[in-house]
Amino acid sequence: MIDWQIAGSIFADAIGAAIAAIGFSVISNPPRRAILYTAILAAIGHSIRFFLLQYTGLDLASASFIAAFSIGMCSLLAAHKLLCPATVLYIPALLPMIPGMYAYRTIFSLIKFLQNNGNENEAIHYLLEMFKNGITTASVLFTLAVGATIPLFIFYKRAFTMTRASRHTKRESNS
Amino acid sequence: MNNVHEELKAVSQFLSEYATCLMASGVHTSRIVRNTARIAESFGFEAHMTLFHKTIIMTLRNKENTHVYSAVNTAKPGGINFEINSDLSALSWDAYDNHLSLDCLWDRFKAIISKPRLNPWIVWILVGLANASFCRLFNGDWIAVAAVFVATLVGFRIKQVLGERHFNHYFTFSISAFVASLIASITMWLQWGNTPDIAIGTSVLYLIPGVPLINGVIDIIEGHVLAGTARLINALLLILCIAFGMGITLLMMGGKLL
Repeated sequence: MIDWQIAGSIFADAIGAAIAAIGFSVISNPPRRAILYTAILAAIGHSIRFFLLQYTGLDLASASFIAAFSIGMCSLLAAHKLLCPATVLYIPALLPMIPGMYAYRTIFSLIKFLQNNGNENEAIHYLLEMFKNGITTASVLFTLAVGATIPLFIFYKRAFTMTRASRHTKRESNS
Repeated sequence: MNNVHEELKAVSQFLSEYATCLMASGVHTSRIVRNTARIAESFGFEAHMTLFHKTIIMTLRNKENTHVYSAVNTAKPGGINFEINSDLSALSWDAYDNHLSLDCLWDRFKAIISKPRLNPWIVWILVGLANASFCRLFNGDWIAVAAVFVATLVGFRIKQVLGERHFNHYFTFSISAFVASLIASITMWLQWGNTPDIAIGTSVLYLIPGVPLINGVIDIIEGHVLAGTARLINALLLILCIAFGMGITLLMMGGKLL
């Protein structure tokens, strides 16, 4: 049986990610036809990551990698349909997964560490917090970029002929 | 004899404009190299190029290697623009498949780069909504979501206005991060809601330079290590500026936070 509570929370997560992706993609002025697909990609990726984090106990970096990889794969399919480069679709779709809270906590603990005077236990606590959050931020950012790019290299030839208009007509004449 | 040289010169003028325009619009390096070489091939020439962050160096030669023309061109300023990326890539395939003339290429190129951007006010609203729903994704409560929405609208408008007046990038990013996080920190001052830290943390995330970050990683993997490192360092500097802006807010809030 489907657990409706789980399904509902995943759906809410997907909607949030889709709105975020639309907003972040329009900053870089995408082709109009790509905006909807970016939102769908972001919804797919973010809800996959949400599911993995909540119900399988995977860590943030690995879950982000799997989500980014699926975004990369789906972006190739969408790019094939839309005749536009896959990067145009997947870069904005990745943005809702950027580990902003961890980045914030890194800076917060850095400042607390700097403001600390004398109390060594507290200093060590904030130093540890800074490293923990900083390393999470960096590793998630890296896995996001690498995970989404790997499909591009698997289908290297394919990925770089996405914008070729004639490939549609050619395929028709071959078949 | 002379004709070949004139033709090389004309084509390389187009190609260096084309490549610098792609660079400005946020395309990863290997796509620029491939697209440019593809157009050169449609004229029966070979293009070889080196790309740095601010300049490109390009040599165009005919197939027999008897005539060579080199050009250096600086990258144009201008924001990231994925529509130009997409359309110029399509143009290069069109040139390759249909052997378009140089005049035709210039016309199509000018038509593509003069396309208007999306209405800035629509972008403004959408970015506000995006950052607010981003806050929701981080489990912020609705008060935090509302605070982030307002903070983003103000901060992003500042970024747009300063960007139009061509202020320094780093300055723009610091100021708008500072203002956005300051507005979000009102929730902490007045102790509204239960998640003011999430409001402050997400209020600056619309500034994250995602495109250069990901392009930098792609470039490095594809072997354009220098260009990729330059992009990453650039993105890191912008992130530092965001951190700086937010840091000032946190210091101002220091009394409350401690």
